[in-house]
Amino acid sequence: MPATRRSAWRLWLWALLAAPLLLLILFGTLVADCFCLPSEARALRNELIRSSGVEWQQQIALNADTLTLGAVRAGLSLVRLDPGARAAAQSVRTAGVGVYQLASGTPPPDRAAMLAAADSAMIAHGWDRAVGVMDGHDLVAVYVPKENISARRVKCCVMVFDGKEMVLVSARGNLDPLLQYALDQPDLCAQIQHLVQR
Amino acid sequence: MKKMIRYSLATAVLAAGVSINVLASPPSGQVDFGKFTPGDDSEFVEVQIKSNLLSLAAQLVEKQDPATAKLVRSVELIHVNVIGLTDANRADTVTHVRQIRHELETDGWERNVMVQQKNGEDVGVYTKTRGGEALAGLVVTVIEPKDEAVLVNIVGDIRPDQVAMLGEKLNIEPLKQIGAALKDATSKDAASKN
Repeated sequence: MPATRRSAWRLWLWALLAAPLLLLILFGTLVADCFCLPSEARALRNELIRSSGVEWQQQIALNADTLTLGAVRAGLSLVRLDPGARAAAQSVRTAGVGVYQLASGTPPPDRAAMLAAADSAMIAHGWDRAVGVMDGHDLVAVYVPKENISARRVKCCVMVFDGKEMVLVSARGNLDPLLQYALDQPDLCAQIQHLVQR
Repeated sequence: MKKMIRYSLATAVLAAGVSINVLASPPSGQVDFGKFTPGDDSEFVEVQIKSNLLSLAAQLVEKQDPATAKLVRSVELIHVNVIGLTDANRADTVTHVRQIRHELETDGWERNVMVQQKNGEDVGVYTKTRGGEALAGLVVTVIEPKDEAVLVNIVGDIRPDQVAMLGEKLNIEPLKQIGAALKDATSKDAASKN
């Protein structure tokens, strides 16, 4: 067998052996990615946990990326669905959610301090707080990127704490399908007017 | 020669510093309400809608209602603070809001509405005009001593006729009234400048 032919044969053999390994790594990365929050939500969680100085227990952390949600959308296109629900499903491009609970018997951390810590973490990542609400034991904060956002590329990150449990949600979406659905509603103007007057 | 270079360098640095400072200063209608202390177990709400979100809102209504989109685009910032009052923070918060009002009056803001009711409710509306035709900023302060203090700051290049038109269009009475009040404020300002 000539030398060049032998080396080509060896190359193919290596490729054949490496392919399943690479696929396994890729699959492992994708699976691991499903249990890992997006970077901004991770930064928010880390800062909140660090600054609170108390023990938190992770209940769940899930992340659905473009690929996963694309597959979900493709699957949903085959089933009969309420137009509103379909528009909502079509709008979400990526979504991550993390749920954390205070260890039992731990007193809830100071909400104002939590909000300040969340603000500093998000500002450092180029996000601004659009809404902050403290009421009783509850704390809600909504963050949006400082950069210009368009209807086709909207991002937001939400933190909710009820004194025991903290939920972090980060999502990116395209509002066009939802907007189209809203515009198709015949009594939209009346509904908006009613809402504003309230 | 060395001296001259040093002077020109110093002037350049100073000029750059001044221009950076000017660029960094907030829009003329923006008011820093400062920090408030939320009372224990009381409500505290802060909403800050900046130009990127307002631009998104304008994009969303553009096709359906270009006039509303134009009005939304003329706003640069909407800042709302609601501070629930408790025995722990009532005195400090009321003093803080009164201090803001005092600073607005000394900073050239015009007080358009001042209502003090028997139940203690105290409302103040302040405006800052831009060239006598548009508003650079609007501040609404409300003190309800038993419940809460509310502060609203709207910044932009707001045309009173646009606000009134939106009120007419959506048939929202308070918006109509605000539009009319703003028209009065800007026309008074224009008259006083003439």
